[in-house]
Amino acid sequence: MKSRLILLPVLALALLGVVLGPIGAKLLGFERLIDAPAVHLAPQKIFAIGGFTVTNTLLSAWLTCIVILLLFGLGSRRMAMVPGRLQGFLEVLVEALYGFIRGMAGERYARRWFPLLATIFVFVAFNAWMALLPIYPTVGFKAEGADHVTTHLLRSAGTDINMPLALALIAFVFIEVWGFRVHRFGYLREFFRFGNPVQTFIGLLELISHFIRIISFTFRLFGNMLAGEIVLFMMTFLTFFVTPIIFYGLEILVGGVQALVFMGLTLVFAVLAVAPHEGHKEEHAEAGQH
Amino acid sequence: MLAAPRLAEEATGIGALGIDPWSLLAYLVTFGLLVVLLYTLAYKRILGVLDARSGRIRDSLEEADRVRREAQEQQEAMQRTLLEGREEGQRVLAEAREAAERYREQQATQARAEAAQLIDRAREEIRQERDAALEQVSSEFASLAVSAAERIIHRSLDPDAHRDLIDEVLAEGDARAGRN
Repeated sequence: MKSRLILLPVLALALLGVVLGPIGAKLLGFERLIDAPAVHLAPQKIFAIGGFTVTNTLLSAWLTCIVILLLFGLGSRRMAMVPGRLQGFLEVLVEALYGFIRGMAGERYARRWFPLLATIFVFVAFNAWMALLPIYPTVGFKAEGADHVTTHLLRSAGTDINMPLALALIAFVFIEVWGFRVHRFGYLREFFRFGNPVQTFIGLLELISHFIRIISFTFRLFGNMLAGEIVLFMMTFLTFFVTPIIFYGLEILVGGVQALVFMGLTLVFAVLAVAPHEGHKEEHAEAGQH
Repeated sequence: MLAAPRLAEEATGIGALGIDPWSLLAYLVTFGLLVVLLYTLAYKRILGVLDARSGRIRDSLEEADRVRREAQEQQEAMQRTLLEGREEGQRVLAEAREAAERYREQQATQARAEAAQLIDRAREEIRQERDAALEQVSSEFASLAVSAAERIIHRSLDPDAHRDLIDEVLAEGDARAGRN
């Protein structure tokens, strides 16, 4: 009975949203109440410092960094053996990420790789989750003559291709540096195989695949974040109330999953880079015989 | 037809994505700083506490294992002592029973000997009593004989009568001895 009392008004609100939205306007023949949302692929300029332009996505990234630093700084300020709530939350997060990394990379690399990989997760996830706050799509500036916000003050950094690209470049450099660090110049044998044409071709493909990772990393995150933003815009535009909440829940999940995927793939590629290659295995075997 | 999202800028190709070297650099620096700050401010401390806690838990578990082992050893030692005590008690009890049995037998033997002595003594006393009685009877016989003689003398000296009288006295004496 109690749940019915809650459910009925919610359903009525959802229906009202659809009726008042563009679907209702089309079916019932009245004029639309709001304009269709505008999708900006590129970030919007907020202000400039000298020749350097600060965009709404960069501003959002900085805000996210401040929130992350405040959260982690306050949570780990006075570390106690019996943790409080915030410390407990941070410990659970750090423990889970560390366990994930250690499970794949082993104890040897986990401690060294953890800071970068954990920060990738935290940065991507918090950027995605912060963008779900209502101030993101509502606070901004109106263009002259416009009756709605045309330049948003804040926008998810993940929807700016420069952010995923920067992370992809960092991941690429991280993976290759560790490959070189472990195998020295033997790492190049993975790409330059001059035994026979098939091996040469495989090496070339391997080399290309390493560079292709930059693009795949970039567009996977960028595409998911941008698509999420567009879906939220469109569902809010089409249904007004209630229904977008479902998609907000979905976006919370997507943010976490994308962060985990970015971190996980960087980890997997790094593990592959430091794993012994075929040539190295032979060298190790020969060294073992001597 | 429903309104579709529209692109805000009219840009073509990859330029529409807004790739900008300065923004890219800004993100690289921002992320790099975030890694350094998080590592310095948080990760090191949190991992340190996690390590310390896991170390303490490991120590506590080892300590608990040690205490459990010691308790088990003590319990085993106590059980051993109990068992030894029980065996010792049973041994002492068996010895006591044996001693008691020996004592009982000794007492019984002694009692039998004493009883035999008593019987012998009683027999001896009986024999002595009998002898005394016999002696007394004999002396009484004598006195009877004397009294019989006195009677005889006071009456007459008829041999048959004397004989009858003597028999009578003897019978009387026998009767008396039988009564005693």
